[in-house]
Amino acid sequence: MRHFRTLLAHELRSAALSWSTWAAAGLFLALMGGIHFFALVEGSRAPSDRTPVESTLWFFWLPLLCVLPLLTMRTFAEERRSGTLAALLTTPASATAVVWAKFLSTWIVWVVFWLLFTLFPFLTVQRLGTPGDTRLGDPAILWGGLCFIAISGLLHVAIGILCSCVTRSSALAALLAFISLLAMTAAGGAMESLPIESWEWLGWLREPAAHLRTFGHLQDFAAGILDSRPIILYSTGTLLCLGLAVLSVEGQE
Amino acid sequence: MNEAAPLPEAAVVAEKLTKRYGSLTAVEDLSFSVAPGEIVGFLGPNGAGKSTTMRILSGTMSGTSGRASIWGVSVALDPAGAKRHLAYMPENNPLPEDLRVEEYLTLRARLKDVDPSRVGERVRKVMDDCDLTRRASGRLIGQLSKGFRQRVGIADALLAEPKVVILDEPTIGLDPHQILGIRDLIRSLRGKMAVLISSHILHEVEQVCDKVVIINRGRLVAQGRTEDLRRELLPEVSFTIVTRADEAALLAACRTIEAAATVAALPSADGWNSFRISLPTGSSARETLAGALIAAGISLREIAEDRFGLEDIFLAATRRTPGEARRS
Repeated sequence: MRHFRTLLAHELRSAALSWSTWAAAGLFLALMGGIHFFALVEGSRAPSDRTPVESTLWFFWLPLLCVLPLLTMRTFAEERRSGTLAALLTTPASATAVVWAKFLSTWIVWVVFWLLFTLFPFLTVQRLGTPGDTRLGDPAILWGGLCFIAISGLLHVAIGILCSCVTRSSALAALLAFISLLAMTAAGGAMESLPIESWEWLGWLREPAAHLRTFGHLQDFAAGILDSRPIILYSTGTLLCLGLAVLSVEGQE
Repeated sequence: MNEAAPLPEAAVVAEKLTKRYGSLTAVEDLSFSVAPGEIVGFLGPNGAGKSTTMRILSGTMSGTSGRASIWGVSVALDPAGAKRHLAYMPENNPLPEDLRVEEYLTLRARLKDVDPSRVGERVRKVMDDCDLTRRASGRLIGQLSKGFRQRVGIADALLAEPKVVILDEPTIGLDPHQILGIRDLIRSLRGKMAVLISSHILHEVEQVCDKVVIINRGRLVAQGRTEDLRRELLPEVSFTIVTRADEAALLAACRTIEAAATVAALPSADGWNSFRISLPTGSSARETLAGALIAAGISLREIAEDRFGLEDIFLAATRRTPGEARRS
């Protein structure tokens, strides 16, 4: 545990001092700022069922696919390439402590990015809103959506970490993470849009498909519905990915 | 009352270590040991399996079969326990480029379970010992020269005062001044830590090490003190002689003290003849040769024993087969 704390503090410090983290933060804020701006413009033109914050959160997949791989790609791939991971494993620190420290630090950075995003709706309400009117930035929707992003982020970051463990190339790690996250985000929607009902032999897929609806989970969280099934899905998926990452780090020779 | 832990017989034990990559055998049936406080040179041609063996001993790679232990702790069964007694500096000494030397050593000290109250003191001590304090402590590792990077690697190895230090090519790429510094540093560890050091600079190894282990194609071909290996692997001692006498007279004089002595002519100059006299290793004639030649009326301008260094031992050892090594 002491090694984990030491490694976590080191990883957080490295992330804070790394230019790539700041570049990723810039890209994230530019993306989310732009999306929020267009959601506000769109909301001012025509009445909509969704508030601007809800519409913005609906695009969470964009930074997920474009920014998160930038955060996770270097975690192991770069260290494996330079040999510093092997040097780290010559100390009594275990592979489990190393993997969990890198995972948790990346997840913290990811959550901090999203907390920074809350500045946009906050400033919008401050500047343009009227007291009591929550249409510009309903805090319940905002914090519900952020809870979803934080919980699903556990699995998303774990997938990125696993992708970084299996290669020495940061670029390849980013590409693998991009494809895996795209598949995961789109899987539920794609399976839902398939006419599974009419294919009897695919009937068994109905239940898993219902569990993989990423956007449905976001909608539930934003609406304040706390379902334990997605939480179990994301936490078990996280443990599975991190377990595989530990095996990958231990097995590298 | 605290009782000191008993000293193990061997600080490092490799017993029938074998490592295979598919059909390729990198290390085979390799057995050797390093006593506490001893400095041992680990030699072999490129691709002989030195780095693989060191990685198995350090727990960063698992062997296919055999047993490795550090300070009595099995590397396979208790890797974390073995690593507490061990410091390993891998070949090429990979270091994070974006940390300052002091930050890096502090991090490593914490990961190596140095008492938190002693971390600062230990970091300062190893930086002083490795001459890093004045010129490198505040610099980014990525900006350091090769020599200073090697020093950082060695400082890291010494941080937690381990019982065993394994250094893979610690002087590679260093200039002669830096090599001298590293040599003195390693020499200062004698009696305090067991050191296993691989190097291609045989002169260095001969200067620093108590014992050498020589492997070839993954197998042990020789091990022991340099002097013992010299006797074992080099069957003759030889002397170069410059004299007015001819070969026949010289041979006759030598044969009076050693029947197996041989004489070979070398290129001569200025009217003087040069010869090489060879005697079996261990022959008592070695001490009496000069006296015997003078007693036979042979005038000598020069007589000198040819010194065979570790290089000759290494070449002889790596030429012989593992079967010959086992028999000897």
